[in-house]
Amino acid sequence: MSSLTLRNLKKRFGRVDVIRGVTLDVADGEFVVFVGPSGCGKSTLLRMISGLEDVTDGELRIGNRVVNEVQPAKRGVAMVFQSYALYPHLNVRDNMGFGLKVRKVPAAERQQRVSEAAALLKLDALLDRFPRELSGGQRQRVAIGRAIVGHPDVFLFDEPLSNLDAELRVHMRSEIAALHKRLGNTMIYVTHDQVEAMTLADKIVVLRDGRIEQVGSPRELYEQPDNIFVAQFIGSPKMNILPAGSAAGFGAQPAGAVSVGVRPEHLSLVAPEKGQIGGKVVISEYTGASSLLHIRLDSGETCLVVVDGDAPEADMKVGLLAGTDNLHHFDTDGMALRKSRLLM
Amino acid sequence: MTARDERAPWLTLKMREAMEAWLFISPTLAGFLIFFVGPLCAVVWYSLTEWNLLSQQSVFVGLDNYDDALFHNLDFWQVVRNSIVFAIGLVPLNMALALALALALSRRFAGVVFFRTVFFAPVVTSAVAWAIVWKFLLQGEAGFVNQMLAGIGIHGPNWLREPDWAMVAVIVTRVIKMVGLNMILYIAALQAIPRDYEAAARLEGASNWQIFRMITWPLLGPTTLVIMVITTIGSFKVFDHIYLMTGGGPENGTLVLAFYIYQQGFQFFDVGYASALAMIMFVIVMGLTVVQLALRRRDT
Repeated sequence: MSSLTLRNLKKRFGRVDVIRGVTLDVADGEFVVFVGPSGCGKSTLLRMISGLEDVTDGELRIGNRVVNEVQPAKRGVAMVFQSYALYPHLNVRDNMGFGLKVRKVPAAERQQRVSEAAALLKLDALLDRFPRELSGGQRQRVAIGRAIVGHPDVFLFDEPLSNLDAELRVHMRSEIAALHKRLGNTMIYVTHDQVEAMTLADKIVVLRDGRIEQVGSPRELYEQPDNIFVAQFIGSPKMNILPAGSAAGFGAQPAGAVSVGVRPEHLSLVAPEKGQIGGKVVISEYTGASSLLHIRLDSGETCLVVVDGDAPEADMKVGLLAGTDNLHHFDTDGMALRKSRLLM
Repeated sequence: MTARDERAPWLTLKMREAMEAWLFISPTLAGFLIFFVGPLCAVVWYSLTEWNLLSQQSVFVGLDNYDDALFHNLDFWQVVRNSIVFAIGLVPLNMALALALALALSRRFAGVVFFRTVFFAPVVTSAVAWAIVWKFLLQGEAGFVNQMLAGIGIHGPNWLREPDWAMVAVIVTRVIKMVGLNMILYIAALQAIPRDYEAAARLEGASNWQIFRMITWPLLGPTTLVIMVITTIGSFKVFDHIYLMTGGGPENGTLVLAFYIYQQGFQFFDVGYASALAMIMFVIVMGLTVVQLALRRRDT
């Protein structure tokens, strides 16, 4: 098992800077998730760690070794691809044993390691099948099994659940979490799905335009976002960001605050005359356990509110309440004005 | 709804769809019947007759033409041997060169389109121009090829006048002309292999040779089969190249089946015998194709 250290890592394709100086520490056995919008560089960063993309500048360490110039196979990493990358002409057994075969591991040991991984992932009955004969979830498990048999120090997952349907994705998510618990390896996981990120990660790395926006535990990112981008990226539905003037009714604001953020689930609906600010329901979306309301505020902005139980109909006037602890204040650059800093 | 709406139509939806389908395929079907099935049936019938194109007299002779070709005509077996030598020389050389070029030119680098064009250009070049240029290049002492060989101290043969070398010359010049087509097919197949396979194999420690042998080559299997079948068929059907470069000579050294059929039918006007030869060629090519397909099926 290994820790991972990235120091001012950069990647340039031609004239395009894709990774613009990423510094990150991943502890031994930690489950780290890279999230960010399409094109933010999360997959490129993962491929740089794997060695499939070379490093333009900076330093990459796995354990105590600088691996910038080390071949992919000698870095002690294994990768699970979004497409699974299972060789279609080989059966499950040969797919899982491929890496051991090319490394000339004796057949008996190969067999044993494949069997162990197959048992761990409940693939025993599928070893003689070809990838085309497997379901999406089974293919995903084979891809993970192929990574396991090599006994890597670090597992890399590149959006491994993107091709699965919603139900299977939830199931596989829990299997990956269980696997991490059992194996205890360092795992780096790329996804654009924030629910995956929140549920799996010990630590989330939010990326935008090749830079890290914030690193922290899921709770830290949800409760204390560093800036408007992270505030809106983490959490669903996304955080409401209102001009300070429109949100004045929620209470006193710190000096320098130009925007106020409040999550839809942290707003309460009351009668119009009892609200801190008022508005009118524009759309009411019933989602089963709750309803999502689009409310046009008296100041003109639109605000989302999540309501449990009965929700008001469209065109009804409502009042909104928010607790001060649930408000986030941002300066002109969109950076958070921390509560601790505000008290000083 | 009115009574008129509820009445079943004269033609059901299924019948109308079937009619439309037949309408769409009818031009192709007509062409296929008139220009392929018709002549094929005619050739089968002609092969059972003795029909001289000049006298216009046709006599039913049963299997005499086949008997004559297979058991009494020594030229026929030399021609079959020449065709097999041509195919054995051409097919592996063409495929190996096509694959090597495709592997080199399936990646992105500056000038790749230029090189692809250079190697594909002979495919669309006129066979006549190609043959004339190569006849000129392969002339005896004065030919460009022998001049170049002389420059490095090798005395080249008279390529198109010596039976063994003439076969080598027609095979190599044919390969250079047609290799671009197979190269393009291989490039298309290589580009269809997901890059993740190579990335996954590389991460697992596979060398370039192991990736080719264990991943790329097996995945090229279906394309290799198609290329092998069409190149083999093409090599048995070769006519223009032989006609233009050697005329089947020297000493019948390059006289191959298709050219021999042409000679029998259009130089000696023995249409019945030529038709029987054509049927034999059809059976040989069909047999080879079936064998190749069976081998492929056994391997997968």
